[in-house]
Order: sequence, then structure tokens, then C-alpha cells
Amino acid sequence: MALERFAKDARAVVLAAYQEEARSRGSGAVEAEHLLLALSAHPSLRHLGLDHDRIEQALDEEEERSLAAVGVSAGSLESPTALARPRRPTLATSAKLALQRGLAAAQRRRDRRIQTHHLLYGVLAADHGRVPRALRIAGIDVEELRARL
Amino acid sequence: MPAPPAAVPDDPADALAAVGALRRLADRVEDGGVARALADGWSWGQVAEALGVTRQAVHKKHARRLSAAGLKSGDR
Repeated sequence: MALERFAKDARAVVLAAYQEEARSRGSGAVEAEHLLLALSAHPSLRHLGLDHDRIEQALDEEEERSLAAVGVSAGSLESPTALARPRRPTLATSAKLALQRGLAAAQRRRDRRIQTHHLLYGVLAADHGRVPRALRIAGIDVEELRARL
Repeated sequence: MPAPPAAVPDDPADALAAVGALRRLADRVEDGGVARALADGWSWGQVAEALGVTRQAVHKKHARRLSAAGLKSGDR
């Protein structure tokens, strides 16, 4: 991933997705939902009114519902332990796809640098996976959100 | 409330989402289980045998996390 084309804010979001979101949830790799959480907390996108805690709750809810659909309840299981190790972030496939889509969006608009709004566009472009499922649970209209980017 | 029977959900989106959720759940159970085994004095070799993987694999996956969490990570 050509991170040198990322603007300072966009790089900070990828780093926060790893340090603040993925690792604190015990995940060694950044997933698309970690990018979404980091984007929702970034000042440059505050005007969109994305609520970090609400999205976090919706992701938990999504997990619970997905497990319940196959008859599994993990309610009593302890929370994942946070990863303390400082390591280079690894990008999971869902995050790579979001970054590629963000990059493509920037190219289409002939923007030289990848900004946070391009990243959000890339994250929201997924039809499947945890991000669209959680956003639906949170009652967030993805189409409306994308139109404002 | 009785647990519903485990079956593949009709909606493929729900079925595939469950796969991811189950993998994350398995990872959490593994993380906790390995930590507990080592705290109880199990060797890496015993943990590996119980998980059905090589000792190198289980060590590589868990040693750093557990030593960061303050748990011993000897090379037994």
C-alpha cells in the first residue's frame, strides 16, 4: 500500500485504527471496522456526526447477532485482552480493500493526496462484512453519508 | 431460554458473518485458554499438543502477547 500518497490526517487515522482500535480489542491486524472507528473519532470528519461509541456498540451487537444466528452465545466470555506490544500494523484483507477503494476514489476525483474523507468513502463502499452490517444496526444511512463526502 | 439448534442460517450474509464471528470467538477462547494453561504450569509443548498445532506455532502466536501481559513465557 502506497502510504506516501496519504495525507498526514489519513496516515494518522490508519495508525489510530491500529493503536487505538485494533490492538485494544486484542486484534493484531487492522480490519475495516477499525478504520471506521478511527475515522469516526477523527476531527476532520466531525461535521458528519459519526458517533464512535454508537458504532462500537453496533459492532458488538452485530457480533452477538451473528453468533446467535448459529446458536452461539458468548455473553459470559471475558473481553479480549488488549495487545500491548508495539508492532508495525498489519492490514487485514477488509482494511486493504477499504484503502484501495479510497485510493481509487481519490484518483477518480484527481485528488493528489488521500484524505480522511477518501478513506471513509473506501470503508463505506463495502456491500458485505461487519461495517455495513453494523451501520445498519446503528441506523446510519450509508447512501446518505456517502453523498455528503 | 433453550439454545436454538445450530444450523446454517437461510440468509447467506448471516451465515458468512457468523463464520467471522466464530473465528474471532475461537481466537478469544484460545487466547484465554493458553494464558490459563501456562499460568497453571503447562509447558508450551503440552499447550501445542492440546491445540493440535506445533510448539513453534503456538509459541510464535502467543509468547509475545503473554510476556507483555506479565505472564511467564519460558521456553519449556
